[in-house]
Amino acid sequence: MGKGIEQFGEVLKTDVLIVGGGLAGNNAAIAACEVGAKVLIADKSSIERCGAIAGGVDHFMAYLNTDTWDTREAYLEWAGRIARGAVNLKIQNAVFCRELEAAIERMDRIGCSLRQPSGEFYRTTSFGLPGPYMINFNGKNLKPLLAKEARRLGAMTLEKCSITNLLTNGNGKVIGAVGFNIRKGNFYIILAKTTILATGNTNRIFQNPTGLPFNTWQCPANTGAAQTMAFEVGAHLANMEIVRITVVPRGFSAAGLNALTGMGGKIVNAKGEEFMFKYHPMGNKAPRYKLVEGVMREIEEGRGPVYIDCRHLSEGDMKHLKTTLGYDKDTLPDFIEQKGIDLRKDLLEIMASEGMQAGPSEICSSGIMIDEETKSTVEGLFGAGDCTDQMRCSHVCTTGGYLAGKMAAKYALTFTQEEPSVNQVKELKRKVYAPMRASGKVSQKSFEDTMRRMLWVYAGASRNEYSLNTALEKLDGLEKYFNEIKAGNYHELMRTHETRQILSVAKMMCHASLARKETRFGVFHRRTDYPETNPEFDGQIVVVNTDQGIKTFFNKLDYSTIPEP
Amino acid sequence: MPPVIDLDKCTGCGTCDAHCPLDVIHYNEKKNIPVVKYPDECWHCGSCRLDCPVGAITIKFGPEMLYV
Ligand SMILES: Cc1cc2nc3c(=O)[nH]c(=O)nc-3n(C[C@H](O)[C@H](O)[C@H](O)COP(=O)(O)OP(=O)(O)OC[C@H]3O[C@@H](n4cnc5c(N)ncnc54)[C@H](O)[C@@H]3O)c2cc1C
Ligand code: SF4
Ligand code: SF4
Repeated sequence: MGKGIEQFGEVLKTDVLIVGGGLAGNNAAIAACEVGAKVLIADKSSIERCGAIAGGVDHFMAYLNTDTWDTREAYLEWAGRIARGAVNLKIQNAVFCRELEAAIERMDRIGCSLRQPSGEFYRTTSFGLPGPYMINFNGKNLKPLLAKEARRLGAMTLEKCSITNLLTNGNGKVIGAVGFNIRKGNFYIILAKTTILATGNTNRIFQNPTGLPFNTWQCPANTGAAQTMAFEVGAHLANMEIVRITVVPRGFSAAGLNALTGMGGKIVNAKGEEFMFKYHPMGNKAPRYKLVEGVMREIEEGRGPVYIDCRHLSEGDMKHLKTTLGYDKDTLPDFIEQKGIDLRKDLLEIMASEGMQAGPSEICSSGIMIDEETKSTVEGLFGAGDCTDQMRCSHVCTTGGYLAGKMAAKYALTFTQEEPSVNQVKELKRKVYAPMRASGKVSQKSFEDTMRRMLWVYAGASRNEYSLNTALEKLDGLEKYFNEIKAGNYHELMRTHETRQILSVAKMMCHASLARKETRFGVFHRRTDYPETNPEFDGQIVVVNTDQGIKTFFNKLDYSTIPEP
Repeated sequence: MPPVIDLDKCTGCGTCDAHCPLDVIHYNEKKNIPVVKYPDECWHCGSCRLDCPVGAITIKFGPEMLYV
């Protein structure tokens, strides 16, 4: 007895393992179940509410073929302009365009329609769009409705489970993952024919302007687990250099900007000047990175505070705005009210949010490089959602998540189940629980805080070769203390692994930033030593783990033609 | 600041513990009450309040967010 891997923990077997039961993970689960695969979703929380859209979403980007701006070609043309150097149009076509119609139908079917009760789509423009692509809708219950559908189709779940490492066979193929229960501590060994990583973007990586690390725009439970695990098994990652920042109400890093500017809210400085037109011809509806740059500069140059002014909105628009705000961030109306602000009479102060890693635009993110079938460069491993280089935001996570589920299930049905070696499992288990036995000379909170503060100074919205090399040296110095962090319980063990993941993403980010010797996407990658955008860098910096450490190479992308449907 | 739970209204269903994306609320089986165990890690997403079947949860923002 007890000679096999079972001696180390609970062994679970599935066709498709989905790590992260957020928006992309649930759509993947639905698709994989429909193909007929056995599906297991593992998440640190419950699939009903976990992840970025826990409290809701309010907009879904789509073209609906009503006009010349409203076509697949126009969307891809815009994508190639706004995310040039990060988006791969062929893959965007596969993960979004080909899946869009089915996604809109699916949302109707599960009871979270994108339409207004009248049956019409309510569409607005923001963030540099060529037309009103943003469909406003009530996505407050999108998450529980997706979870219900995934469960109805037979998806199994492993909740309050933090996944820490991937399992591989002798040839480097991914054959499952390991993790632990964040309350009870039991060790899970999950054997899967294919694995989809869907753990979202990376947060808690840069200093938060309020000093509160969990006061983040995106979900602070997402700390780059997928990016780290994929990197460790040799997968290629891209767009890792980009720092994403947005504009949020001062004090509360809450989503809702699209609702405010989309409805016609004006961004003004202390003198009441609508300054965004100075920075971009689209003014308040400029791309997000331009809004951030405008807000930062007005404050830096002494023309702050900066506000959003909605006082001119009609009664009808104000009513629509108020409901939509609560759809996107459930507690934002409470915050505004508790500040004593009435949007009909008062200005709402705004600020630049904390930095995070989540790609340059509303269509593609930073992370695992995927192909047109959502496959990573490692066999058996797929990516979905914000942890990939080609999916981002509710629309692409919905369509692309679904494609990932379909593809992973299709391959799973042709693969056999494999077992990892006893040694591999034993070694991973030792590493996973090591913080339980550590000295405790350094606390996880202070370690993470130091890292955040340091990264913002040397690798944040302004960076150069020296600052990035300094950041890397400091990360190496800091890392020596990681083994001193003690986890007193399994919740703390989860946080400690999150800290490790953030550190690993930070290194990839610095290496990728060093390789992109130009400035692109404004403050999202501002190299003060290369202040111009250089068309030679119209492509991705790819990061890969090698025996000689982190290596980067350049992947040129083609924007000269729009791919065929 | 974390959610405030009105224990007089709470029926002890445990949903807020199960649904919190950040593992902030832990249901104490011995005392039969939900406890806001990691208040500093609250994301203010509102999920606990949305899903509490009896409306026992309110979200209160502290001065560190309202007046920073
Ligand atoms: C408040 C808010 C409002 C938004 N509104 C909109 C909108 O209106 N329109 C729009 O287009 N986009 C919107 N976005 C962005 C959009 O929601 C995200 O791009 C999208 O939800 C990401 O989906 P995902 O599946 O990649 O990640 P998520 O949905 O965040 O899921 C990731 C999951 O991974 C889990 N996880 C992380 N690490 C581990 C681990 N180690 N082990 C196990 N599980 C793990 C997490 O618990 C989480 O559940 C919004 C985002 C936020 C935060
Ligand atoms: S508001 Fe969200 S993060 Fe905070 S306790 Fe409630 S469910 Fe958890
Ligand atoms: S969800 Fe509401 S009723 Fe249920 S345990 Fe939490 S506070 Fe109590």
